[in-house]
Amino acid sequence: MTAEQSSLRSPAIQLCYVRLAVAQPQVAAAFATEILGLQHVPNDLEPFLFRSDERYHTLCLAARTDRPSIGIEISGEPELERAAKDLAISGFLAREATAEECAQRFVRRALIVEDATGNTIDLVLRPAMSGRRYFPSRDAGISGLQSVGLRSRSIKDDLKLWTTILGARVTDRVGEVTYLAIDQKHHRVALYPSDKAGLVYVGYGVESMDAVMQNKYFVQERQIKIVHGPGREPASGQIFLRFAGPEGYVFSYGYGLKDIGAGHRPRQFTAEASSLCEWGSECADIAELQFVPAS
Amino acid sequence: MIELKDLSYVRMGASNLEEAESFATKCLGLQVGEQSGKALYLRSDDRAHTLCYFEGDPADQTVGFEVEDESKLDAAAATLDQLGHPVHAGRPTECVLRKVKAFIGFKDPTGNQIELAVRPERSGKRYFASRDAGITGFSHVGLSTTNPARDEQFWTQVCNARVSDRIGDIALMRVNAIHHTIALAPGRGPGIHHVNHQVESNDDVLRSYYHLSGQRVPIVFGPGRHPTSGARFLYFKGPDGMVFEYSVGVDEIEDEATHRPRQFGFEPSSLCMWGSRSAALLPPKS
Repeated sequence: MTAEQSSLRSPAIQLCYVRLAVAQPQVAAAFATEILGLQHVPNDLEPFLFRSDERYHTLCLAARTDRPSIGIEISGEPELERAAKDLAISGFLAREATAEECAQRFVRRALIVEDATGNTIDLVLRPAMSGRRYFPSRDAGISGLQSVGLRSRSIKDDLKLWTTILGARVTDRVGEVTYLAIDQKHHRVALYPSDKAGLVYVGYGVESMDAVMQNKYFVQERQIKIVHGPGREPASGQIFLRFAGPEGYVFSYGYGLKDIGAGHRPRQFTAEASSLCEWGSECADIAELQFVPAS
Repeated sequence: MIELKDLSYVRMGASNLEEAESFATKCLGLQVGEQSGKALYLRSDDRAHTLCYFEGDPADQTVGFEVEDESKLDAAAATLDQLGHPVHAGRPTECVLRKVKAFIGFKDPTGNQIELAVRPERSGKRYFASRDAGITGFSHVGLSTTNPARDEQFWTQVCNARVSDRIGDIALMRVNAIHHTIALAPGRGPGIHHVNHQVESNDDVLRSYYHLSGQRVPIVFGPGRHPTSGARFLYFKGPDGMVFEYSVGVDEIEDEATHRPRQFGFEPSSLCMWGSRSAALLPPKS
């Protein structure tokens, strides 16, 4: 390790936001407040902006973009410069966001990166917080944006971005599904082997098991399709409910995501349904959340 | 006053004993303690049995409570006799069938068959479940009532039960620290409304939800959570239409002297704070 490297902090420090490309933002916006229970943030730059916690925004429904992206906060200017260099060396596409793009993301600076699969990841500096406390539109018990599931065409190459360049740690694996930690929580990003790019789900933390279960009946009564759960992930410990949102996006509520200790070593779980849900729920609709029995 | 110490057993007729055994072991997850001719003794904890199925009429259902000793049993018989409840003193052969030292049988005001028993047997062998349902023991029964106010009075005035909470006029009553041991449920006639077993964790309730759904066992209510006792629950149907419940996290009444029963409205959210509904168990939607 060089002196320059050792003086830098770990680059990735926080999952900040998710920007979803939508064709019909009004419909998606109604879902965000009436179903998810997020707080709408009135704003001239982005009309469909939502809060889930103390941050200025964690969800943006963007009509003028063609693919979703996630925002990852980088610890500081030097770390971002270093990441930019490493990305270039490793052949990842990355470009500096324009002033307008930074404004739309409510960050001071952003590097817009494409992973090996084709997912867009914004590496951002100083994402905006809000002085006002979070006031949800319904009592869903949301405590904040918690995690995202990303599709990966090449786990190995995407891991290079996440671990070597961004400093995330592999915490556990289920088959090839890989959980990545960037703070004290078991994971903030999970990579799911796939044949395409995209988000498997956008996950919000909720305050209790009661909230997960109340939301189960809430979405069920509104004829919203539950695609996985209620269930419990053996690796992360979290109780989850994953359900269909607008335009093919999947959202989830989770409670009980474990913290990982300093001595944690990545565990390998068998590639079977019970490794994704110890209660026995099975996912029928999303290929990435299923395991094809070995033939 | 008749002092009930604990719930002891349930006895139920089975139209098909083999089916009852299959359900009890493969679905419910109890341990067969003993199978003698026309009766099946099932264990759920360190007691020798807590559920007995016998070949017979499924409407023939009895709930057994434990009382302190034989002198208390004699006093109870006298009390009931005085109140005009015909009392049957258990014969030695009947005591053997129940694995108790002595018992008396009578009917509560609705007509539910109740037994008071002395020295129900425990087993030296630990409980070993037939499937990993996480059962920790037999805990309470739902008893049908044709007149909730009258039956509440019987259980609390003639016996030592205390009301922990009420949903509408339906009383949830305890005989020890556990939130309730007897839950009254409005019905057209006598009968056991449901049989509850406690499980270890929330996980067990949800695991069983998926396990039983996979076994095509009708789930009649839940997974849910009672706002009264705080318990997470799952109700499902067994042989001859009997409803069984798993639950976990039943509150204990910490201060017997100061606890005041809370009144909950007669509405679905009083039975489940998560939002599950059941046509069979819930009051009609208003």
